[in-house]
Amino acid sequence: MLELSDVHAYYGRSHVIQGISLRVGRGEGVGLVGHNGVGKTTTLKSVMGMGPRTRGHIVFEDRDLRGPAHARARRGLGFVPDGEAVFPEMTVEENIRAGALLKPRADHRRCLDTAYELFPVLGERRNQLGGTLSGGQQKMLSLARGLALEPRLIMVDEPSEGLMPINVELIAAALRRAVEQGVGVLVVDASFQLLKTVCSRMYVMKQGRITGEHELDEFATADRLVETYLKGEG
Amino acid sequence: MEHIVVAALNGLVVGASLALVAAGLALLFGVLGILNFAQGDFFMLGAYTVYFTVAAGLGFWLGVVAAALVVGVAGGLFLMAMLWPLRDRATALVLLATLGLSLIMEQLATNRFGADAKTVAPPIAARIPIGGTQYPVYDLLVVVAAALILTGGYVFLKYVKYGVWLRAVAQNQRMASLLGVPVTRVYALAFIVSLGLAAVAGSLLAPLFSVYPTVGLDVNLDAFIVVIAGGLGNFRGAAVLALVLGVVKQLGAMVVPGQAVDLVVFALVIVLLIVRSQRQSVLVRL
Repeated sequence: MLELSDVHAYYGRSHVIQGISLRVGRGEGVGLVGHNGVGKTTTLKSVMGMGPRTRGHIVFEDRDLRGPAHARARRGLGFVPDGEAVFPEMTVEENIRAGALLKPRADHRRCLDTAYELFPVLGERRNQLGGTLSGGQQKMLSLARGLALEPRLIMVDEPSEGLMPINVELIAAALRRAVEQGVGVLVVDASFQLLKTVCSRMYVMKQGRITGEHELDEFATADRLVETYLKGEG
Repeated sequence: MEHIVVAALNGLVVGASLALVAAGLALLFGVLGILNFAQGDFFMLGAYTVYFTVAAGLGFWLGVVAAALVVGVAGGLFLMAMLWPLRDRATALVLLATLGLSLIMEQLATNRFGADAKTVAPPIAARIPIGGTQYPVYDLLVVVAAALILTGGYVFLKYVKYGVWLRAVAQNQRMASLLGVPVTRVYALAFIVSLGLAAVAGSLLAPLFSVYPTVGLDVNLDAFIVVIAGGLGNFRGAAVLALVLGVVKQLGAMVVPGQAVDLVVFALVIVLLIVRSQRQSVLVRL
């Protein structure tokens, strides 16, 4: 479904991603873990065509992925970035509608219903401005909107960061459900609970390279997982 | 009392047209962060459009429609093409570019149409009595037309697909793009609607002002005041403040000299700027 082959990314002269290769299949949850600053978010941005200059092959559903972010999104690729992912002066419902309007009119109601079903708190706060929601609710809103658009693959950056465990559970459950419905999920996160719930495989990154690929079943505890990605070894 | 009513009505007329220009200016600033110094010159082009359609015997209202379409679409796309290469450059470059465009447009208009003031007869000559004053019906029609256009703009931004996207792009361009919103098309729409509003204002106001190459200058200055005071990018705030400014200036001119009124208005803007600098956000808000 999504395949990266020998992808490099540069910010100016800085060679941030140094030839990574990874793949995410249909209905597969895949994690990308590593220290801060190793290039995880840059990898997602490179796939989405936003920011860094890239080299290498990025193929989505057997076709090269090219063009600006909105063109890639229209091919069925979703991306929920970490932070500043809502429209602050629009209500919760308008935030979701801004995405739903990309779909045929007959699907608009279903998008809203899907989002409210995933996170009922959003339905309760449908008339509240997005910018006035708590950090956790903003993450739910951006994820709900991303999933309601029914992408074939969604990339999510740090969905559990700064959230209470109960909210992490909700977000993990929403992503698990997407996987079960056949959506490919590529998630950058450090939460063992979330990775265990959503992913069957994960890649470990270190200094712009992928240094290991693991089945999540290999890790019985969070400590073992942390030990692996802190070492950044395969 | 009668004078006050007439002055207030005059203020509403001026304010309504100013609201159209200011709303366009606010929209462009909210979406793209562009303060367009040439906005008043598209007002001027709208006024000339109606002058020439009337002179050609094609009728006043066709002139208004032509101003909205021709100046809005052609002018909007031209301005976008001119400013697109500067979108990630220093703000000062964009300001200088629009200032330069304004000067060029005024000079071209002077060369092409002459510096003399031209008059356009109102399409409706009827008057209604207000006390002992016969007040022109057309002036009131301008207020109604502006109110309808601005209400339409509000509905557009609130409920229509591209209106919702305009606000989304203004508030978080990166996220809008990530969702799949066609950002470049939304930018083009912002230019077209913004300049279309200025051109409609110019065409509607042509019978009330004379038409001359720098007719947009004064309107532009007031529009800037309104946009800044209303909250940059605030569509409704700009529209309401335009009406207030129009009425205050007309009523104020009855008790103090015209330039003193301007002085007070400028002082208020400076105070508002100081206050807003603490909590300014740039969005297209309703």
